[in-house]
Amino acid sequence: MGTFLWKDIIVLLRKKTELITLILMPLVLIVILGFALKGLLGGDTEALNMKVGIVNKDNEQLGIEEFINELEEMDLSEEVVSELRLAGGEISPVSLLDEVFQEEGIQDIMETENMDVADRDKAVAEGDVDAVLTIPEGFTYQALQKMLLNKGDVTAFDITINEYSSLSANVFNSIVEDFVRTLNFETAINRALGEEEQSISSLEEESRERNELGGIETVSTGEPISSFQYYTIGMAVMFVLFVASTIAGEAYVEKQQHVFNRILLSGKHPLLYLAGKMVSTTVIAFVQLVLLFSVSALIFQSFITETLEFWAGMAMISLFLSICVGSLATLLTSLTIRFNSVAFVYIFSGGLVTLFAFAGGSFFPTSQMPEVVALIGNWTPNGAALTSYMQWMQGFGLDTLRPSLFRIIGASILFITASLVIFPRRRLV
Amino acid sequence: MLETEVLSKVFKGKVAVDGVSLYLDKGESVGLLGPNGAGKSTTISMMSSLIKPTSGDVKLHGKSVVNDPDSIRKVLGMVPQEIALYEELTAYENLKFFGRIYGLKGEVLKKAIQNILELVGLEDRQKEVISTYSGGMKRRINMAVAMLHDPEVLIMDEPTVGVDPQSRSHILEMVRKLNREKGLTVLYTSHYMEEVERLCDRVYIMDYGKVIASGTKEELKSILSGEETIWIDLDRGSPNLVMELQGFEGIQQSTETEKGLKLIVPKGSKLLGKVFQAAERHEVQILNVNVQIPTLEDVFLHLTGRKLRD
Repeated sequence: MGTFLWKDIIVLLRKKTELITLILMPLVLIVILGFALKGLLGGDTEALNMKVGIVNKDNEQLGIEEFINELEEMDLSEEVVSELRLAGGEISPVSLLDEVFQEEGIQDIMETENMDVADRDKAVAEGDVDAVLTIPEGFTYQALQKMLLNKGDVTAFDITINEYSSLSANVFNSIVEDFVRTLNFETAINRALGEEEQSISSLEEESRERNELGGIETVSTGEPISSFQYYTIGMAVMFVLFVASTIAGEAYVEKQQHVFNRILLSGKHPLLYLAGKMVSTTVIAFVQLVLLFSVSALIFQSFITETLEFWAGMAMISLFLSICVGSLATLLTSLTIRFNSVAFVYIFSGGLVTLFAFAGGSFFPTSQMPEVVALIGNWTPNGAALTSYMQWMQGFGLDTLRPSLFRIIGASILFITASLVIFPRRRLV
Repeated sequence: MLETEVLSKVFKGKVAVDGVSLYLDKGESVGLLGPNGAGKSTTISMMSSLIKPTSGDVKLHGKSVVNDPDSIRKVLGMVPQEIALYEELTAYENLKFFGRIYGLKGEVLKKAIQNILELVGLEDRQKEVISTYSGGMKRRINMAVAMLHDPEVLIMDEPTVGVDPQSRSHILEMVRKLNREKGLTVLYTSHYMEEVERLCDRVYIMDYGKVIASGTKEELKSILSGEETIWIDLDRGSPNLVMELQGFEGIQQSTETEKGLKLIVPKGSKLLGKVFQAAERHEVQILNVNVQIPTLEDVFLHLTGRKLRD
């Protein structure tokens, strides 16, 4: 086995065109896409169509009732109680927020869906939504107390964002932030009117400092993903597929030049040759991924501050992906040897890789694609690997990664089984 | 030692090899002759266990190779017509790779590589990648790989195609030496009759998938023992003269050559006078006449009606 690996690596190292395709090309594309599509990922709202989830743990009606009950127990005049009761019903922040979401301009770019806590984690992990706003329990009661009576503290909103679509998440964050800021400002004005005159600007500053409605807690388990990080992963999972076609293409040359016959005549079991292809491809693919991630980290500062645990996870996903690419190489090799044709390799490298890369999200996040394309992409080895990398980079645990990793393992088993069935055993004909 | 029994191969309804029976004794050097498409390569592919016969058998020391391909693979060295080497690897790296897959390791492998490089005369070029080699040098390494594991039987499929005279001579001398001095059993196919005449003890002639003649060189030549070959050089080519002579009584074969024409006639026949007269009629001048005893090439032409390189 080591002999085949040694030979494949030396042959590859001496083929400049292949090396350029496997190493240099993805780096060039990372630079181009990283810069060119930075706007799309970070600030272009024209084509924005975000999907957000709302988890409402608050019972607005109950909160208002509790607030009113408390008013009645307080030592206040009937007139004040009546006014506050009216105001409580009118300025409930949850209703106000809902009104904001229903505004025409907002509705054009945002679709909301109510969900519970369990659905929230699943939806974020699987990229079904761009962000989820969680309204904490007792929020209405706490907010009304703070706004109208200046009593107590208010628990902050939680926004859980999906880092795949940082643009959408950022926009949503801004909408909620604006809402909170406006509400704080208005509360500050109302309070000032009851106390002493203040300039509008000082009120704005005060409201920002006091952040009375608790503000926003943005819950994101990892650093936001930059376009360079995204395209490092996107290009890596795409170009790693070319290792399979390169090695299978080499198998065709071996067949044409009768080197394969020599290997058969050596008495070595033919499956050892196939296993050699798998091991060589796996090792070369893994080295390619490591090189791409390292260069991206060093030159583009993509992963520079990550921990050892982070890199261990990246290595694990890379290993699964490399094995899958190795098994893909065995399938292509089997088809090439069996049918004595390089057509399978050309079809794969010339067409399928691009399609897989597109569907798998190498060029654009799958959340911006039609659902069916995203679904297909998630079943491609590169798409599943991209999902795994992204989830890991966001800080999700192995439980979240499991479905994607299982898909990669499943594809590997499928490719190996098919290649074993197709590969000729002891003779050529 | 190695024999085929009524070996046949049919590819998609087309008979490539049709009931070929041949044998090689230990230490023998046997030639397999035939024009392109005669079935030589298919026959040796079946003998080497690369492809399975449609019918018939291949036996090594009396045991079937068809059922046990590994039995021949261990003792066989195969020199294919193609340069079956990695162009990106050096000669040394190619030998190291194939040596390893033949199970050679460590010092044994190193020694075997050095010995074989010496034998093929390329020890000083061993560190250069194959793609920089000349055609002849590639052929020599192609052979070296086949002999690295010290095989008992060497099957060579036109090993000197496209080779410069120096390398060709080197290859032939090497095979001759291995056969005579080390007792290596050789099956040699070639388009070059003189190579077979020089190297082989016995010859099989194949055409259209069948063996049409076999025997020692002398036995084959005796097919034409009652005949002689007359080479006639002319000042210009004349297909009409060739055609007219073909119709002469006593001329068995009349073919146009590069310099003029070649006639196969019964020994002692007095036809030259008529040939001179015919040449005069066609206004062709005879420059030279050479009467020669038959060669294997003549035998081949006689048997197949085709030249070997047709």
